Amino acid sequence: MDIQVKKIKTEENEYIEIGCHRVTDQIREIIRYIKLHQGSIEAYREEKQYRIPTADILYVEAVDDRTFLYLAGDCYESRRRLYEFEDILPPQTFARISKSAIVNLMKISSVQPALNGRFLCSLKNGEKIMISRKYVPQIREKLKG
Amino acid sequence: MKERIRDSLESFFISVTLINIAMLVLGMILRPGQRFGYEVFVYPLLYGLIGAVPPLIINVDRELSVRQVIIRKIFQMLLICVLLVAFIFGGSPLNRETCISAACVALSVVLIYMAVNVISWFLDLKAARKMTADLMEFQKKNNG
Repeated sequence: MDIQVKKIKTEENEYIEIGCHRVTDQIREIIRYIKLHQGSIEAYREEKQYRIPTADILYVEAVDDRTFLYLAGDCYESRRRLYEFEDILPPQTFARISKSAIVNLMKISSVQPALNGRFLCSLKNGEKIMISRKYVPQIREKLKG
Repeated sequence: MKERIRDSLESFFISVTLINIAMLVLGMILRPGQRFGYEVFVYPLLYGLIGAVPPLIINVDRELSVRQVIIRKIFQMLLICVLLVAFIFGGSPLNRETCISAACVALSVVLIYMAVNVISWFLDLKAARKMTADLMEFQKKNNG
């Protein structure tokens, strides 16, 4: 497999592109390695410890003193508290949306008003979670950069 | 707190506008010959203020489910009805005309309350669409 590295303009976002005939396990492993290199968090499922790439996290939710990380198809538990995630997760792409949740802004597909005066955000895996009005100004600020 | 004040003010100004319309319609139906002084301009503001009190009292910091919010809103609406009817017809003699007027006022309160919520929902819809557009732009920018 050839490896090409090209310099791009400073105003452009850096990216990694993989050209392949098929997405094999080897390609998935490379993708996973790159994602882990961008940042990862330890989490648990069925007593086993995993390292979850932050880019894969859809949202983090606190339920009854327990903290859960939700991915597209999986859910892991973390021993950290929700407020700790505000410091750990990249602040550019993660935002607090309610007292009990932090969402990955890159994983939201749309926002709709909810009947209860709050907003409902649809995630790319089809899940819907609530945004409290209190956090809307901060999210807007973040989106404006 | 800031958000709650902003929401209350938004509801107040929408209510005052709708109360003006309701007073015009009800007045033309029930008492078309009635004449008023300049003090009449104070009433929509006063009624709007009375209507703004229950949502401030019946409010909790806890995040409620859609069902809980609907129940809370129904209670708020009933409280506004009682407060306004008591305020407007408190000293009036209990006769057929007063009952009809009170029923019309109560109906107006229900319609105005519903209209305020519908208008607020449309304002939220506009905000949500703007937020979705900003999100798409944000994701495009961060994905390169």
